[in-house]
Amino acid sequence: MTNLFTSTAAASQAQPATAPATGVGRAVLQLTGIEKVYQTRTIETVALNHVNLTINQGEFVSVMGPSGCGKSTLLSIMGLLDEPTSGTLELDGRPVQSYSDKELARLRNHKIGFVFQSYHLINDLSVLDNVELPLLYRSGVSGRQRRQRAYAALEKVGLGARTSHFPSQLSGGQRQRVAIARALAGEPEIILADEPTGNLDSVMGEEIMDLLLTLNREQGTTIVMVTHDEQQALKTQRLIRFFDGSQVS
Amino acid sequence: MIRHLFTLMWNRRRANGLLVVEIFLAFVVLFAVSTIAANLWSNYRQPLGFEYDQVWQLNFTTGSQPRAEQLGTLRQLLAEIRANPQVAGAASTASNTPFSFNDSQTRLDFTDPRDSTQRPIGPINTYVVGPELREVMGLELVAGRWFGPADAVQGAHIPVVIDERLQRAMYPDGRSALDGQLAGDNEPPRRVIGVVRAYRTDGELQEPLPSIFQAIQPEDTLFLAQSVLLRVKPGSGAALEKQLTDAVRRIGPGWTGTIRTLPDMHTVQMKVRLTKPLLLGAMSVFLLLNVALGLLGVLWLNISRRRGELGVRRAMGATAGGISRQVLGEILVVTTFGLVLGLLVAVQFPLLGVQNVRPDIYFTAMLLAAGALYLLATVCALYPSRLAAGIQPAVALREE
Repeated sequence: MTNLFTSTAAASQAQPATAPATGVGRAVLQLTGIEKVYQTRTIETVALNHVNLTINQGEFVSVMGPSGCGKSTLLSIMGLLDEPTSGTLELDGRPVQSYSDKELARLRNHKIGFVFQSYHLINDLSVLDNVELPLLYRSGVSGRQRRQRAYAALEKVGLGARTSHFPSQLSGGQRQRVAIARALAGEPEIILADEPTGNLDSVMGEEIMDLLLTLNREQGTTIVMVTHDEQQALKTQRLIRFFDGSQVS
Repeated sequence: MIRHLFTLMWNRRRANGLLVVEIFLAFVVLFAVSTIAANLWSNYRQPLGFEYDQVWQLNFTTGSQPRAEQLGTLRQLLAEIRANPQVAGAASTASNTPFSFNDSQTRLDFTDPRDSTQRPIGPINTYVVGPELREVMGLELVAGRWFGPADAVQGAHIPVVIDERLQRAMYPDGRSALDGQLAGDNEPPRRVIGVVRAYRTDGELQEPLPSIFQAIQPEDTLFLAQSVLLRVKPGSGAALEKQLTDAVRRIGPGWTGTIRTLPDMHTVQMKVRLTKPLLLGAMSVFLLLNVALGLLGVLWLNISRRRGELGVRRAMGATAGGISRQVLGEILVVTTFGLVLGLLVAVQFPLLGVQNVRPDIYFTAMLLAAGALYLLATVCALYPSRLAAGIQPAVALREE
């Protein structure tokens, strides 16, 4: 399948500070004719309208658009959290529509890491326990291995000394770092970040952005990031713009 | 995952504190009710030791007849009763007949001939009975012999028949108690001539006591002039009852007789013995309903409040079934916290030997109470856990 995405002018102007170490490879996510329609008794809302998109391995792609244009819906479908009304989604070249709940959960657990605007940390769990969460749903990982990998992920985001803290004891930036560590702990191929700096001030937002860029550059992690911040979007390799559920550039 | 659930619930202990207290209190009440129920069941399963289906009890009052004349009148009355073709057998007995709520208890000293150690045994239910009682009540003799005519004569020893429970009290190692001696205050020693299975006149639900039988002596007019147990033939009814009460009035000057069937007396006794436990049971059911509603409400609220968290768990790789199991697991962990507190209290009862209830009864009650609460928690969590499993992760995450 051909890559239907063509680089935008903005994206072509935006060059990462340094080129990704792994480079851009095979398609890891391929969306073909994706439509998502929310229906109530009286209203039919088209959230995504015939979206064709390919995300390649090692890419850092940002998605921009006004509120309600379907960015988060797109991310939910890419993250196997939601089903499209029509169209096909391929993950690593395999269509996932026919997968069972169990198979989809396994794919989410192994292949995808999520970072959310409001962090979505569990307040009653320590930082370490929060980061362990994806590994908890993975069979064959011992408690000791979980701890080790969670520690390692926290070290990567610079929070190795905060393992026993609770989310309420951390700043917004630190919470988002924990959320990124949680996404990293499962060593996913893809990180889907939904406005990861949306709740942070500019300094903290920059820190998180740098962290994501470093991950992409040094580990070759594929990242799809929804953002409202043009400056941050310009730092990524590709920028996709959405309007009223359609990909406009 | 279990460790994760315990960590999560431990960290939420303040939020779940009231629920834990509610479960703890429910456990304490259920433990009390279960102890009573287990004790009743344990008693019920032990042999009653007699058959009462076709047995009637004739009680009579002797009016103003001089005591010296009562024995003769009674013998005449018994002869007439036994001559009735509808009567299979009749035995004189003291008033502590089956299901009558009357008892006669004593304490006796037993001296073990092996080492001459003496120890008191009691309380023991004592029965002064005519030799016909064994046939009338269908008592099962397991060792030695029942009373014969020679036992009605006072000798150096009082011949007694005991039940297996008293035999075990005399010889816990299982030896036969035949020829063993039991001594009472200012009385000739009693010598065991036979052992019967049991004779639980207090009924199936009462804690069985050891029993000892002594043959009626001719001079025991006081005992004789009280009750007769009759085994009647099947189909006997009001006609026989009238014949018997007429006979009492006819033979005994000023005597009156009343007849009750043992099945009727048994029914009355069961109702009396079960009233309190059933009331307690009803109260505990009401309490459990309250606990169930509390659990259901808390779970429902928790799930509404935690939609975002559940969505994140789905995003991290939890299946819908996994979320359902987690909600169920969480409430079972909270239940466990309450039960641990409850068990700490409950275990003091067998350790301190409260109420002389056997430890195995207490442990059975703990298991029953804990099992009931786990079952209740599981049932209460079923619907909320299905709700949780049905949460669409994308929607839940967007709502947050």
